[in-house]
Amino acid sequence: MTDDLAPQAPRPVRSGRRRIVPMLIGVGVIVAVVGLVANLVGGSLFFYNADEAVERRVELGDERFTLQGAPIGCSIIEGFNGEDPVVAFSVTFGGETVDIVHFGDPAELFQPDVPVVLDGAWIEGDAPVEGFDGVADDGWYFASDRMRVKHDNDYKNDEDYDQRLAESKAASDASAAVCGT
Amino acid sequence: MTQTSENATARTGTGSRFTFWLGVAVIAGAVALVVLGFFAAPADDEQRDAVRMIFVHVPSALLTYVAFSMTAVGSLMWIWKRSLWWDITAHAAAEIGVIFCALTLFTGSVWGRPTWNTYWDWGDVRLVTTLILFLIMIGYLSIRASGGDEEATSTRAAVVGLVAAVNLPIVNRSVEWWFDRTLHQKSSLTDGNLEDMTLFTLVVGIAVWAAFFLWAMIHRFRIAWLERELRVGDLDEAIIERRAEALHDESPVL
Repeated sequence: MTDDLAPQAPRPVRSGRRRIVPMLIGVGVIVAVVGLVANLVGGSLFFYNADEAVERRVELGDERFTLQGAPIGCSIIEGFNGEDPVVAFSVTFGGETVDIVHFGDPAELFQPDVPVVLDGAWIEGDAPVEGFDGVADDGWYFASDRMRVKHDNDYKNDEDYDQRLAESKAASDASAAVCGT
Repeated sequence: MTQTSENATARTGTGSRFTFWLGVAVIAGAVALVVLGFFAAPADDEQRDAVRMIFVHVPSALLTYVAFSMTAVGSLMWIWKRSLWWDITAHAAAEIGVIFCALTLFTGSVWGRPTWNTYWDWGDVRLVTTLILFLIMIGYLSIRASGGDEEATSTRAAVVGLVAAVNLPIVNRSVEWWFDRTLHQKSSLTDGNLEDMTLFTLVVGIAVWAAFFLWAMIHRFRIAWLERELRVGDLDEAIIERRAEALHDESPVL
């Protein structure tokens, strides 16, 4: 209806400030996305599994990295390093075992056979925790200062008692096989 | 009020009998979800009560996928057919999707603290790709808000909407593709092992979120449509006024 009219219809006028704010947000978003993608590509190898960490021990040296493995039940010992809490345990993955000394409180859901993801570095020598021999006992331990629990997607309840019992027995058997007890 | 004026009022509102009852159903469903989530569904053996976060987190994530998929379809239809209906649908879905995505990130973070022992991990693929998706869609909304030529703005936003769609399967499949490299567990709904009442409550949660999405979409779409009608109406009115001014200027002075 308005095609034949001149001059053309006025467009809504926006102040420079109103236009600049979304543009700045847009630029900020682009920078953030590029940064995140770069971080993701660079950190695509989020963690080394225990077997990979052992295989690359020389290459990694004293570099900080992230390690993943399942704690072996019978190896867990909690103690103190001076006044600070320490937990020592061994983790297993892919047939390899790594001795761990975690400086700090363990994660709330830390427990045998539930995989943990740990930040830290290799240290040559015996683990400085009294009474901890370690399942690996290979003259190295992984000194960790950050622990996350890699939870699975099983949401179970005590009502499934029989299933719980069977799984508990299987886990116990697995730990026993590793610990030799 | 006359019949004509009642019709005029009805045309400018965004509600209807359907949306009213849908809204009531959403409220009733939300109450039922709270009761089921806190009292009927059992606690998890390991996570204990923290598992109840699943009833908000998973539906939010699912509806994020739905909303942004709708934005992608709408963007495609705008670019292909120049369909105004789809353009407005894409915009409305993006706005609501951003809310769901923010809720997904927030509830995931709150859930992560007691279960993973961290609110966030920059190395986790699922977490970071979801954040990227959120930021891209914030960018989409900022383009929408930038003003200028409406058609050009819709086209620019549509391109961003389609770029975001590329990220959707990456977010969704990341826990499968990087299974050995991610902190995030696999899909709870398709691969998870859930207690019966936990699964039932989760399905109720998804239904309530879906109903809310539909309710919000209808209202947001109608608001956007009315806003556009208003802009076009104002434009026509301004042109008529200027035309009248021009005719007045041309009249001979006696």
